[in-house]
Amino acid sequence: MMKALSIAWKDTVHVYRDIAGLAMMFIAPLVLATVLGAAFGSGDNFSIAAVRTVIVDQDKGAGAGTPAAGAMLSAALESPDLGDLLAITRLDSPEKARTAVDDGDAAAAVIIPAGLSSALASSVAQEANVEIYKDPALVVGPSIVAAVTESVVQTLNGSRAAAAAAARLAVSRGVTDTARLAGIASKAGTAFALQAQTDAQVTVEARNPVVEGSIEKRPNVASQVLIGMMLFFMLFGAATPAHSVLEEHRNGTLSRLFTTPTPRSIILSGKFLAVFVVVLVQAAILLLAGLLLFKADWGEPGPVVVLTVCSAIVAASLGLVTVSFAKTVGQAGAVSSAIFVFLGLLSGNFTGTIVTSGPFATIRRISPVGWLLEGWSKLLYGGSWGSIALPVLVALAFAVVFFGISVFFFRRRYA
Amino acid sequence: MEAIEVEGLQKQFDPPKGPVAVNDVSFEIHEGEVFSLLGPNGAGKTTTISILSCLLKPDRGEARVGGFSVTRQPEKVKGLIGVVPQDIALYEDMSGRENLLFWGRMYGMRGASLDKRVDEVLELIGLLDRQKDRVGKYSGGMKRRVNIGAALLHNPRFLYLDEPTVGIDPQSRRSILDKVKDLNAAGVTVLYTTHYMEEAQELSDRIGIMDQGNMIAVGTQGELVRLVGERTRIDVALDRDADILAGQWRRLSGVTSVSEPDDGHMSLLTDDANTLMPTLFENARTAGARITEISLAEPNLEMVFLHLTGRALRD
Repeated sequence: MMKALSIAWKDTVHVYRDIAGLAMMFIAPLVLATVLGAAFGSGDNFSIAAVRTVIVDQDKGAGAGTPAAGAMLSAALESPDLGDLLAITRLDSPEKARTAVDDGDAAAAVIIPAGLSSALASSVAQEANVEIYKDPALVVGPSIVAAVTESVVQTLNGSRAAAAAAARLAVSRGVTDTARLAGIASKAGTAFALQAQTDAQVTVEARNPVVEGSIEKRPNVASQVLIGMMLFFMLFGAATPAHSVLEEHRNGTLSRLFTTPTPRSIILSGKFLAVFVVVLVQAAILLLAGLLLFKADWGEPGPVVVLTVCSAIVAASLGLVTVSFAKTVGQAGAVSSAIFVFLGLLSGNFTGTIVTSGPFATIRRISPVGWLLEGWSKLLYGGSWGSIALPVLVALAFAVVFFGISVFFFRRRYA
Repeated sequence: MEAIEVEGLQKQFDPPKGPVAVNDVSFEIHEGEVFSLLGPNGAGKTTTISILSCLLKPDRGEARVGGFSVTRQPEKVKGLIGVVPQDIALYEDMSGRENLLFWGRMYGMRGASLDKRVDEVLELIGLLDRQKDRVGKYSGGMKRRVNIGAALLHNPRFLYLDEPTVGIDPQSRRSILDKVKDLNAAGVTVLYTTHYMEEAQELSDRIGIMDQGNMIAVGTQGELVRLVGERTRIDVALDRDADILAGQWRRLSGVTSVSEPDDGHMSLLTDDANTLMPTLFENARTAGARITEISLAEPNLEMVFLHLTGRALRD
């Protein structure tokens, strides 16, 4: 056992003295996760830059004592709650607003007509159109502006309907005084608007799938990407010490080891152990870096440890099995890289745990790395022991098969 | 019982069409002696030493080291031997000391005793002051010394050195030969392979001459030289290749062997050099060639090889 540990220690030191190898193992996944995380947004969810929007409010109100509908709409768009979504600039003419959109200075313009309040206050049908002038090349930003505007306009229409209904009720109860009727209608409309804003009874809520027996979590994008990158680069991390078998064969040190009273099974065990230790340390460091740099919440410590060890075992077995087919270091490098990139694409390593549904979620189960990603995905969304059990067992089954193949080929070659 | 006994070893690579590297080789090595395997490249020396190191299994035959079979008791044999491979087999990204510590652990050593022994070996190979430098930064001679040191850590009873002086400077070569003598004087039985006749002559108590997988002669230097009798070797350099002369000279009376011409160089063994030399000049003139150099040598291992194979050792 001491000899196996000595061989493992020697191989591990060899890996950590290779600066280029270390960069590949630690720097590359962190950099890629940072870049991809920034591209997708690193907050609680995807985020985009605030939509540059211009407003032209031509509405003068319906009369003294009546709130101006245009002001309400403008205030809604300028609400601090929408500050992250909309960057509002007020302009004084529709022409200037349209020019701003045409010139690309704004994604959308909201042009409030002069007769908006009058139309809302009128007892007879009277049209007033709020115009949204948008950049046709953009989709998301103008859609947000349109959605917010439509929401406010619907509230205004609701207020108008409430006012009309209250006035008709008052007439049916014998109220004939015009001023009194106007006051009743105004109060009903305002009350509707206030209630719609503060005490909505019917709401819409978008939710993520909830893993059975878990609490719902919303992992940040960078941590989801980092998991994919971590597993991908762990394969390369495993390949480096695995290549040492071939390097030692080429350098003559393997033959020299075979002249010492050290059984070949011990030599191979030491080498396998080195591969496992190297990728386990790599995973631990990357998870810690994710915690510190991306504020990633990996989940419950116990399942995280089990899944990390399982990931290291799978990466080690894959590193060894790809090397066991090769005869030279160069051949091993080419074969390993090709297999790892294919597995990365098949398993979805480049998007991490973001893709969790659809046919792709089924296809990636062909690969042990796909199963690992599924396990990590469940942990990131609040899963626990029960939710990672199947991914861990299947991934370990793959690893056992790969280890078996590696041992068979190594023993046959060096018997 | 001999320290090392080899009987009828046979090894063929990639049978049935591959080359026979070792063909029915037998010899013994006595306890405490230096035994050299002498022969040109491809003679089968490294294959023989690989079998005795338990690296290769023979197709036929048997070898016993210290009474243990290399095929049936390899772990016992490996505990008795220290092997210095032909090529440097060290970890270049580790220091000289780290290398020795690692190889010591592979022989089951550890702790303070290993540290002490590493110090002794570093002193023996003269690298105490450079022990913390990475092996990759060592000169060729220094690497060779660490390569030897790694085989000495466990105080082996038998030391195998496979062409340990190939490609190094004369000073390092001298140092290695002296170390081998010192180790032998300390009681280590040495198996040494070389294609340098001078090394075999200087170091060896007994020598086995190998050629094309066969052991063609075994004995002390004196016993081997007596195989060529009182003959003298004449080394001739011509201004051109003259194959026709080799044929003529082989038929001359008193000539026992003539090497194949090699870039105008030939070697002849003869009982009477003084009588033969005028004939050589005359034959060369007739063939349109000119002898540019000629020298005489007393009987040595080179002549033995020439006598037994018809080829110079350097061929």
